[in-house]
Amino acid sequence: MIKHILTGTFNFIVFVLIQVLILNNIHLFRIATPFIYLYFIIKLPIRTHRTQVVFLSFLIGLVIDAFSNTPGMHTAACTLAGAVRAPLIRFFKGDELPGEAVPSYRLFGVGGFIRYVIAIVAIHHLMLFFIESLTLFDPLFLLLRIAASIFLSTLLICIVEAFNIGAKRSGEF
Amino acid sequence: MRKLLDFLVRKRHWFLFLFLEIISFTLIYRNNAYQRNIILSSANLFTGKIGSIAGSVRSYLNLYEENKVLSERNGTLELELLKLQDQIEAIMADTVHFAGYVPDSTEVFPFEFISAEVVSNSAAQLNNYITIDKGTEDSVFTDMGVVSDEGVIGVIAVANKHYSVVMPLINPKFRLSCKLLRTNYFGSMNWNGRDARHSYLYELPRHAEFSKGDTVVTSGYSAVFPPGLMVGRIASDAQQYNDDFYSLKVELATNFWTLKNVRIIKNYRRPEQISIEQEAKKND
Repeated sequence: MIKHILTGTFNFIVFVLIQVLILNNIHLFRIATPFIYLYFIIKLPIRTHRTQVVFLSFLIGLVIDAFSNTPGMHTAACTLAGAVRAPLIRFFKGDELPGEAVPSYRLFGVGGFIRYVIAIVAIHHLMLFFIESLTLFDPLFLLLRIAASIFLSTLLICIVEAFNIGAKRSGEF
Repeated sequence: MRKLLDFLVRKRHWFLFLFLEIISFTLIYRNNAYQRNIILSSANLFTGKIGSIAGSVRSYLNLYEENKVLSERNGTLELELLKLQDQIEAIMADTVHFAGYVPDSTEVFPFEFISAEVVSNSAAQLNNYITIDKGTEDSVFTDMGVVSDEGVIGVIAVANKHYSVVMPLINPKFRLSCKLLRTNYFGSMNWNGRDARHSYLYELPRHAEFSKGDTVVTSGYSAVFPPGLMVGRIASDAQQYNDDFYSLKVELATNFWTLKNVRIIKNYRRPEQISIEQEAKKND
């Protein structure tokens, strides 16, 4: 339990910093910005109560918003992603998962984990970009940006998770 | 009744979800206005501090470029000084009694610069904002104009004690009154959200004359910027009509990807202009 809280706090701080200091400035081909901080929501232990997941997602969105001058946008998108996380896990893996487990390649299988990541990332990005486009609507460009950003975020999150496998083998969770 | 309570407790995450979404949308709605929340922006002390640490690391990486730009600027200014000295000498040689040039003390140039450094910057998003390291303590206030060596950047949207947030030209919420330097026709500049190097000049009358490469400068109608500041150049001959106006694509003079040092324009006569404009509107 303590271990989960520590990893969670670590993930929160590290991924928020990576996001606001580095990735917010990336804008590949002027269309795609990766949002890696979703990794925090994705990696919360499966048994975390849904109220907690929703609240933590809200919190990380609020922090990202404060840094990137977009009040409410990331907050709204993250809260939605946090709320649909449990139904998504149930949809992909059913109920028979061990209590203390954390979503990972080993638990979900590589394909299963990637599908789970794509689903959360897609829901988050759709919400985020639609809110952003409330001020300025440009449908084709919007779809292009959403698709490119979903691809980039998923790729980055899967790479980070792949690096995590080594840590798990050596005994650390 | 108990069943209802049971239901409420069992589904409490959905209620929390709805509640938090309502909070987020309130935030979005409230901050879509021009005035923004200080606590939740990069102008607050904590986010500003982290931004300025990252900015100082980045500024070391850019020192070479910065130096080059500064020495170039120094060169042009020195040249200007030499030219002026030359002119003064010519005048002195011309006149028998040259008692020196004394500017009229009633004709004060009403603008002053405050220089600041960029702490965090975005050019990649749709709603871009720039954070700078000067605030109300350095007498930077909301609605002041911000420029760089290259040209106009934007206006101060929020000012906190030590940091402020600039709404740049590349934010769709910002409109800037501009004119063509050559023909003096004026229009309004607004960004379309796609490309940080280009913007559009709207509401240019249809009889306006222009050609590719014409300079676009500030009109000076807004009390935020003095007239004649560089904004950009017309990027294409192609124009789009809507109603009776042209809209032109303009290549911005400022490169928002590499901003480092900026200057804030302080206008001493701004309160006066605003109060008289308000008075005029009252009669409508």
